[in-house]
Amino acid sequence: MNLGTRAILYTARKWKKTLLLFCLLLSITTLVLSGLAISDAQEEQAEELRGTTGTSFTVSRNTATGGWGNGGNGSYSTQEYLTSDMMEKIVAVDGIEGYNASIRTILCLSDVNGQWLEQLEPTGHSMVDCQFYSYSCINSEYHSLFLSGALEMCDGEMLAPSFDNGIIISKEIADKHGLHVGDTIQAVNDPFSNDKTKELKIVGLFEVVADKTDERNNFNEASYYDYANNAFVSETTMKALLENYEDVGYASADFFVNDPEQLEGIIQQVQKITSINWNNFIITANDEVYERVSSSISDTGTLVTTLIVLITVVSMVLIILILSMSIRSRKKEMGILLAVGIEKPAVILQYTIETLLIAVAAFPLAYLSSKQVAGMLGTLFGKTAESVIVTTQHFTLVATLGAILLIAAVLISCIPAMRLKPKEILSQME
Amino acid sequence: MMHSKTKRNEVVSMNIIELKNVGYAYENKRKVLKAINLSLEEGKMYAILGSSGCGKTTLLSLMGGLDSPSDGQIFYEGKNIEKAGLSAHRKNNVAFIFQSYNLIDYLTPKENVALTSKLPPQPILERVGLTEEESRRNVLKLSGGQQQRVAIARALASDAKVILADEPTGNLDEDTAAEIANILKECAHQMNKCVVIVTHSNELAKQADEVLRLHRGEMKMLDRLNQSGRSGCYTEIVLQTYKAFNR
Ligand SMILES: Nc1ncnc2c1ncn2[C@@H]1O[C@H](COP(=O)(O)OP(=O)(O)OP(=O)(O)O)[C@@H](O)[C@H]1O
Ligand SMILES: [Mg+2]
Repeated sequence: MNLGTRAILYTARKWKKTLLLFCLLLSITTLVLSGLAISDAQEEQAEELRGTTGTSFTVSRNTATGGWGNGGNGSYSTQEYLTSDMMEKIVAVDGIEGYNASIRTILCLSDVNGQWLEQLEPTGHSMVDCQFYSYSCINSEYHSLFLSGALEMCDGEMLAPSFDNGIIISKEIADKHGLHVGDTIQAVNDPFSNDKTKELKIVGLFEVVADKTDERNNFNEASYYDYANNAFVSETTMKALLENYEDVGYASADFFVNDPEQLEGIIQQVQKITSINWNNFIITANDEVYERVSSSISDTGTLVTTLIVLITVVSMVLIILILSMSIRSRKKEMGILLAVGIEKPAVILQYTIETLLIAVAAFPLAYLSSKQVAGMLGTLFGKTAESVIVTTQHFTLVATLGAILLIAAVLISCIPAMRLKPKEILSQME
Repeated sequence: MMHSKTKRNEVVSMNIIELKNVGYAYENKRKVLKAINLSLEEGKMYAILGSSGCGKTTLLSLMGGLDSPSDGQIFYEGKNIEKAGLSAHRKNNVAFIFQSYNLIDYLTPKENVALTSKLPPQPILERVGLTEEESRRNVLKLSGGQQQRVAIARALASDAKVILADEPTGNLDEDTAAEIANILKECAHQMNKCVVIVTHSNELAKQADEVLRLHRGEMKMLDRLNQSGRSGCYTEIVLQTYKAFNR
């Protein structure tokens, strides 16, 4: 009788032991597979976070180092402004995804016939009600109101740097006046001066996502204007509307980086641009949100990893204990096998095959069961069930390592008995 | 090969196992066996007698290659068994029968017999008196006598020329013991094996061709029967010598 046959007969006839080991392997492997899937979901979440938290740095005038002048409204800083030229130099640094700088003004909007549009909740004074709080954008996608998620596009498109004569208004205002994407309206900075009136095409509509009942979120804190009364135009449009006023440049600009981890390095690169006098400008990193979220995410990551390691170690100890107990109880058998001339390596191989036979059944089943429970377990770690996926790579990894660990466990369990001479094994059991 | 020859120069039989000055001591202890010299032949059944703890089991384990002697050498067909490998010696040359049967509990009698043998197990099991149905049961569901028969069948099924039995009838009733003794005797005489039995039973010793006694680590030959003289007078001789020795 060969050792393979003996292994199969043992596994089949000592079915209670087989079942115990099978259940143990099944549950451990299921847990470890789920753990791996959760840890991967974790990694993915962290990666996604890097791409979406919109980490940026702001370059602004340093009024502390500039001089001060006096004008009609009191003293003002004479510090230089950020020019388009400077901003283009900065954005050319590797790793910067885009930037935005805004000029805020109040524009009066009317339809093509010159009929003033009305704010969402009009006061009854037409010259007040037609005032809309407006921003110019180099790229509206990077405007802080869109990035923060307070506003969201619901129709049309964003204002790209190349876009001219376009405007984005809120869906509520558009609905109120029967306007749609593609319609034309008119805008003027100050209707009582000789400021130019421009015809602008509505390129997009936004929705206010912030909670309507939450006053603080629903209103632009800086202006007390309802977000629905905001409007966005391109940089060139704004400059044309304000052509009667001096173009000084921007007080500050926001630059967005692809990978929050790189932020510090990028800022250092930016500071090396010699054509900009860095004595006149301050760079501020805006990565508190990323730091906060990512540290909580990496905490969960460490927890998941610790749990996987813990489960694996504890279960290995458990399996080694069970196997050593089982092999100790098989001393008599080992003595007999040795007495009839079967060699020690063949006996160890038989025990190894028995264990692997159980693993061959338990591992694939664990793959299937982990697919069922991984999602559920993932929700305990703040993952969505759909994001926790047990892949075939996980399975291959666990099956290979599992097999190696099991073989090691059998070998370790066999050491005490294998050091004995056959006579000692036989006399010990009598 | 070692041949022992008579004066008339004809080959009578062959020493299959030879012990030369074999001594054995368990770790840090007194010598259990002292310089044992022994030659055992094929076709004969030997009985080894001796008081409890005198080293019979130890001696048998050494002959069977379960352990190696502290001093001296053991030869099988003229070759030192340690040089040829103890595991190979156990596999090819000797077969054990133990007092506690030592069957593998997850195998049936048939499978136990087939453990190291390619012979069909059923005829052998039938020869030692097991039915077909009994041969398919779990060995633990057999009586002690039946289990011992399985153990004997396992020894018979192997090609081994030497059968080493340690108190094979120790746990059995008189009738079964007598039957087992007969089977073992047949083994020696009909299958030309060398059967060595360690026993406390005089009944069993009576069946042997030669009776040896182990005392204080030394071996004494009590009786040797010549080829023609296997007879009733044997019993008397054994008993007398046995009594004389015990005095
Ligand atoms: N593993 C061991 N370690 C130390 N001493 C041992 C060991 N096994 C046996 N002995 C001692 O060696 C001596 C011989 O033991 P052995 O088992 O050979 O005796 P025995 O003649 O078979 O006795 P019994 O008739 O009771 O079976 C005894 O004194 C015993 O205590
Ligand atoms: Mg003994």
